[in-house]
This record gives sequence, C-alpha cells and structure tokens, in this order.
Amino acid sequence: MAPIIRLEDVSTVYEGEKRPAIRDINLTLEEGELAYVVGPNAAGKTTLLETINGLLPVFKGRVLVLNMDVQKHGKEVRCQIGYVPQDFMVNPGEPYTALDVVLMGRYGKVGIIRRSSREDRERAIEAMKLLDVEELANRPIGKLSGGQQQKVMIARALAKEPRILLLDEPFSNLDPESRDKVSALIDQIRKEHNVTTIIVTHDIHQISISCRRIIVMNGGRIIADGEPSKALKIFEKFLPLEHWRDWRNSP
Amino acid sequence: MIWLEYAIFQRALIGGIIIGLLTGLIGVFVVRMRLSAIGYSMSHSAFAGAALGVAASIDPLLTAIVFSAVTALLIGPMADKARLPIDMITSIAFSLNMALAFIFLTLSPQVGLSSEVASVIWGSIVAVTNRDLVYLVILCSVTLALTYLFWKELFAIMFNRRMAEADGINTKPFIYFMIFLVGIVVAFSLKLVGGILVYALLFNPASSALQYLHDMKKIVILSPVIGAISCVTGFFMSLVFDVPVGSCIALVSTLIFALSVILSPKRKREVKT
Repeated sequence: MAPIIRLEDVSTVYEGEKRPAIRDINLTLEEGELAYVVGPNAAGKTTLLETINGLLPVFKGRVLVLNMDVQKHGKEVRCQIGYVPQDFMVNPGEPYTALDVVLMGRYGKVGIIRRSSREDRERAIEAMKLLDVEELANRPIGKLSGGQQQKVMIARALAKEPRILLLDEPFSNLDPESRDKVSALIDQIRKEHNVTTIIVTHDIHQISISCRRIIVMNGGRIIADGEPSKALKIFEKFLPLEHWRDWRNSP
Repeated sequence: MIWLEYAIFQRALIGGIIIGLLTGLIGVFVVRMRLSAIGYSMSHSAFAGAALGVAASIDPLLTAIVFSAVTALLIGPMADKARLPIDMITSIAFSLNMALAFIFLTLSPQVGLSSEVASVIWGSIVAVTNRDLVYLVILCSVTLALTYLFWKELFAIMFNRRMAEADGINTKPFIYFMIFLVGIVVAFSLKLVGGILVYALLFNPASSALQYLHDMKKIVILSPVIGAISCVTGFFMSLVFDVPVGSCIALVSTLIFALSVILSPKRKREVKT
C-alpha cells in the first residue's frame, strides 16, 4: 500500500524556544492504517499531529502527506485531514450553533467565495447523527456539556469526509459507554473508507482492541513503534510506577 | 428639529448613520478576531496621519489613509513574526502615534483656532462634505460586498483561527485585510467622530450586540444598528448640549454597552444554570 503520511527526520521547534518539541522523527503510515500515539505529558504527541497537518513549521526534515509537502501545500493537505484538537472547549456565550461548527469542517473543501451547498449541510447532519448529537444541531455549542462538545468536534472532523483523521485525546470528556461507541464508529469509518487514522492518548485504557500499531513517544522522540504488546512493554519503562500498576491491572 | 433643514446637518446625520453601520459591522470582526488592540492602534495611527495632513496643509483624509495603510502593512506581519506579545507592539505603536499626532498638531499654523484641528481631535458635525458622503457610501458598499463574498471564511476565523486554518482556510490574508480595512474605515470616520474616540465605535456596538444574541448572523446585523443609533443619538446630543460630537457618540455607545451587560439574556440564563 502507498504511504499516506511520511515524516523524514523531522524536528519541530516552537517559536521562541530553542529545544525541539519533537526531534528526528521518522514515521510512515499507509492508507487505512490505525495508529495510537501514547506517551506521558509533554512527550510531543500533540506537536506530532500539528506537524503532520502543517499547523506548525518544520525546523528540520520533510513531512509528506498524500504525496504533498505540507510546508508548501498546507492548505490542500488540511482540506483532506479531519482534525480534533485536544481539550477544545467553547465558552458558554459563543454565538455559534453546534451545526455551524460541524458545517465549518467542510469549508476548506467548499472553496473560497462559494457558499455551502445543501449537500454540505446534509453531510454535516449525517455526521452529527453518527455521533448522536443531531438533536443538538441548533443549540449554542457553548451551552453543551464537555462530552457533547467533544462529539460535535468529532462530527466536524467526519463531516469533512477526510482521507486522514488526526484525533488528539478525542475521548477525554466522554463517559466509558460513549467512548466505546465513538471508538467503534471511528474504526468502522476507517475500515469502510480507508481513512488513515492517528489517535493520541495518554490513557492506554482508551486504546481500541482493533489497534495493531502503537507509537510510543517520550521527550519529543519516538521510542517505540510497532505491535501493541511490544510497544507497551517499552512504554512501561517510561511510565511512573503508579500509572504502570494501573494499566497492568486493568482488564 | 430646525437644524435638519440645513444641508450641513443633513450631511452629518447621513454620514453618522453610515459610519455607525460601517464601524458596527467591522467592529464585530475586530472583537471576534481578537484584533481589539490592533484596532485601537490603527485608530490612533489614522489620527496621527490626519494631524500630519492638517500641519502640512494636505487633505487630512489622504494622510490618514496613508498612515493607516502603512501601519496595517507593518503591524500584521510584525504581530505574526516578531517574538513580542501583540499588546506590547500595539502599546508602543499607540504611544508613537499619539506623540506624532500632537507634534503634528502643534506644528499646525492655526493650532487652537483651526476647526480642522478640532475636528481631527474631537470630531465635528460641520466637517462632513458631500465628497465625504460619496466616499463613505462607496466604502460601505465595498465592505458589505466583501463581507457577503467571504462570509464563510470570516465566520470560521471568528470562531477559532487555528481551527479555521486546520480546516484548510488560509487565515493570514483575511487577518491582514481586516487590519487594513479597520485603518481605512477609521480614516474615513475621523472627521465626524474624531481621532481620540473613534475606536469606541469599533468596540462598543459589537460588544453590546454580543451580549444579546447566540447567532453570529444576527450579531452582524444588530451591531451596525447599535452603531448607527449611537451616532444619531450622539449627533443630537452634540447639537443640544453644544459639546463635541465624538464624545457624545462614545458616551452613548458606552451607555448602550452598560445597559446591554445589565439586560443580557445570555447572562441571565447563565445565572439560572
């Protein structure tokens, strides 16, 4: 299969900082592949996602997504990526409905000056239906609970009909039942539409059973990349003892 | 209402309504895109430009536009590239522009006497000409047309610039253009409202409208209406009490904002929950 995401010796430095947030990253993901990225806080997980979608400038190396260099074709690349940022919470007074926010996910595809069509609206509502938030479509997004807002943001990413999904802690505000449902939904969409998917989490209990690849990050580097059992064994060494016990004892 | 029989007051009233609508609309973008500090700085840059025009006996509108355009061209990239907080850049630009404005006004041959000097500082009802009205109508039409054309992009940027970028919208040109537009709108509003208080019209109507509504499309209609009401009420207050029109407009728009905060249905709902 053709690689959809390829990072070649990539380092990213935040503006005003000297130390790279991620360094010497080499990574390839094929079409339809699912990978979880795990690691402690400040491991560089979010930076990795924002480097892949070109929101952060690359200091060293090259990022190719869909055979395009993200530094040169960032806009085109991002039109094909559904992105859910970490802890994205909207203030209660924000003058946007949930449907407004989901529909925005399609704006890049619609193109400049053009208006969203009826089809765009239908896609947005379909995505909301998949996430069970259709009835919240006309409510101000800021008035929704954290979990509902998170589902709206996932619906926004899916409404785009992306070729790549980059999800940063997408289940952090969901209850266990919703988490399993949403996780299964993402997996189903990935399989049906061959969507390359990267999910960042710091909680290894959230890793889907269908996951065949785990990328472990620590200190801005990839320290393990492979089968869950092998990768997690390496991950154990870098976890504080109490976390290690937690996840080893979990079912 | 005997005043309104005179063309000079009719012009000022019409000019006030257009300026209120225009600044009310632009103000929504300024507030929502978190460009308030830049808007503040741009208004004083236009003020400094107009002061230079008065001192050099050039059309103040022209120099205000040039100053605004240059500041807009500098401040956008500086805000993005300089490793300094935006507040710091705009605060320094503010003090620089105010210093330049007062130096230029002092250099004016008729300082203290010239109605032109007074209108640049405080705004003046008598300063609005037919030519100004034509320019304002053109500017208002262009702004409305651009807002309509790029509404989708502006709507997304106002929600969250980073998310808009993640969705494939190139946000930089819109932000730079908005900064430029603020400068131009301020330059055209200077004569009536004055350089010191024009920014009140950029922030107060938009901030007031945001207190009432949950729908951005309605907010971009309500804010210009509040802007126009502020200008018309300020205009009549200025005539009745014989005080500068810019001050009256700023006062009215501030009062509307205070009332909006008190009456805000959004806040009431929040208290209940």
